[in-house]
Amino acid sequence: MTLAQERTLASRLRADFPILAQDVHGKPLVYLDNAATSQKPKAVLEALQHYYECDNSNVHRGVHTLSARATDAYEGARDKVAAFINAQYREEIIYTRNASEAINLVAYAWGLNTLQPGDEIILTVMEHHSNLIPWQLVAQKTGAVLKFVELDANQAFDLEHYKSLLSDKTKLVAVVHVSNTLGCLNPVNEITNLAHQYDAKVLLDACQSLPHMPVDVQDIDCDWLVGSGHKMCAPTGIGFLYGKRDLLRSMPPFLGGGEMIADVFLDHSTYADVPHKFEAGTPAIAEAIALGAAVDYLSGIGMETIHRYEQELTLYLFEKLNQIPEVTVYGPQPNADASNRAALVSFTTGAVHPHDLSTILDQSGIAIRAGHHCTQPLHRAINAQSTARASLYFYNTADEIDTFIQSLKEAIEFFSSIFG
Amino acid sequence: MIWIELATDMSLDNLRDLYQQVILERYKKPRYKGTTDPVDRHQKGHNPSCGDTIELTLKLNESSDRIDDVRFEGEGCAISMASADLMAEALRHKSLDEALEMVYKFQSMMRGEDEFPKEHRKLNVMQGVAQFPVRIKCANLCWHTLKAAIEAAQSAEPAGYVSNE
Repeated sequence: MTLAQERTLASRLRADFPILAQDVHGKPLVYLDNAATSQKPKAVLEALQHYYECDNSNVHRGVHTLSARATDAYEGARDKVAAFINAQYREEIIYTRNASEAINLVAYAWGLNTLQPGDEIILTVMEHHSNLIPWQLVAQKTGAVLKFVELDANQAFDLEHYKSLLSDKTKLVAVVHVSNTLGCLNPVNEITNLAHQYDAKVLLDACQSLPHMPVDVQDIDCDWLVGSGHKMCAPTGIGFLYGKRDLLRSMPPFLGGGEMIADVFLDHSTYADVPHKFEAGTPAIAEAIALGAAVDYLSGIGMETIHRYEQELTLYLFEKLNQIPEVTVYGPQPNADASNRAALVSFTTGAVHPHDLSTILDQSGIAIRAGHHCTQPLHRAINAQSTARASLYFYNTADEIDTFIQSLKEAIEFFSSIFG
Repeated sequence: MIWIELATDMSLDNLRDLYQQVILERYKKPRYKGTTDPVDRHQKGHNPSCGDTIELTLKLNESSDRIDDVRFEGEGCAISMASADLMAEALRHKSLDEALEMVYKFQSMMRGEDEFPKEHRKLNVMQGVAQFPVRIKCANLCWHTLKAAIEAAQSAEPAGYVSNE
């Protein structure tokens, strides 16, 4: 293989991921479903194990040694996440179960209490259901109106259409950073800058960008950003919300319970400052600590390094896919250095339905996703009932792309022979 | 035979069971696609997790207790579409009670517990699906929708989607 960084990155790092060293149906596992969830390096697994073997205790309440250790590790992970996205203040990071919960937190705590009838929320047709349904619920309750940015001719974010939707009525722009289906990288700096000219807030769904490229919340200047731990080498059950500190302080609590209070009386209570105001109940302590370990692991490699390598994988993947005439690819083609898109591709193959393709590839040890990828409205917009999706991470290799392409060709050949 | 090569090269015996020639032919050239005339029963079904949809219409006899014709429209994988086509064929001239019995028999077959007698042996080509638990929903979609169509109040209007979750 000719990928310049391959020997220095994927081949070096694969050993960190025990799960990758297995056969599926007698073939080496080729895991190409990273947009659904990433695999976990030993450093993250060891962080979980260490916490339960050595430090397990509840946080923020004990004065004993274990509780102090657990609290230090839990809050230390918050510092790591804050640094990872270059947040100005550590208390701007609120742990949630996942990105969906983080969006719901904003929708309920801010949206329900702020939006008025006729206010407008701008989304895009490419949003994951998690950044659509909370706003549908909020719009139904408040009378706010949802507006949707459509796709341009390249099946990417239509900036001109977005500009035409902005007005003094716009109160929120909630948009995905990298589409989990189209793979396009949206112009979030410009999106945010334009929204702020109308005093609208901006929420960024960074689930598909954070694991793969540097993301700087101060540079983007978004008001909120949500991330998913399990897509960036951390366990399931942990995600986070970033919010500008003053904005978070202005928002009422989302969930009530222990941990989020200052003083409690029978008929009223006062609340803790951020971030704890939004972290009711015993949190996912081990998972938060493991998220910190994941951030350490990724930072140790370097997000720039990961991004550059994945850009090379993207170019190689598209070079191979574009040679198969039966394949239709959705989303923009990569530009010269693949800086316009992520290392994932949704596609259809004519004769072979995505579900059948996924079953056939699975028999060769290749894991891809088939379906609507939680973007049903987008699939209607691109006129595809379902698509197959291969999504890569830094531990994938050009050899694995070759294996995938070979099996894809065989499946197409087989179905084509029946279809004549 | 490409199929033989594929099965040998890729060690895909299970796949050979799954994608039998009959299934692929029915997927390619379904015989029962369309809408019955008249439409005595009409039921939509879908698999929310994958997006497969089916729209089933039934023509009944004069006493409305026997199936004269079954047609389907839909979008889905080879398994779900072939299953619908084979089902439509097998249901012709069956009483509604017999059709319901076939629903239960098919579902048992998907659990690997049963198969159809000689009269309906064509349906047994779907047996291979039982080895692919995540695909059983695909094969069951049409049968699940049929059950709803039979049990729904007599109406030619679709009563919304029945979900195969």
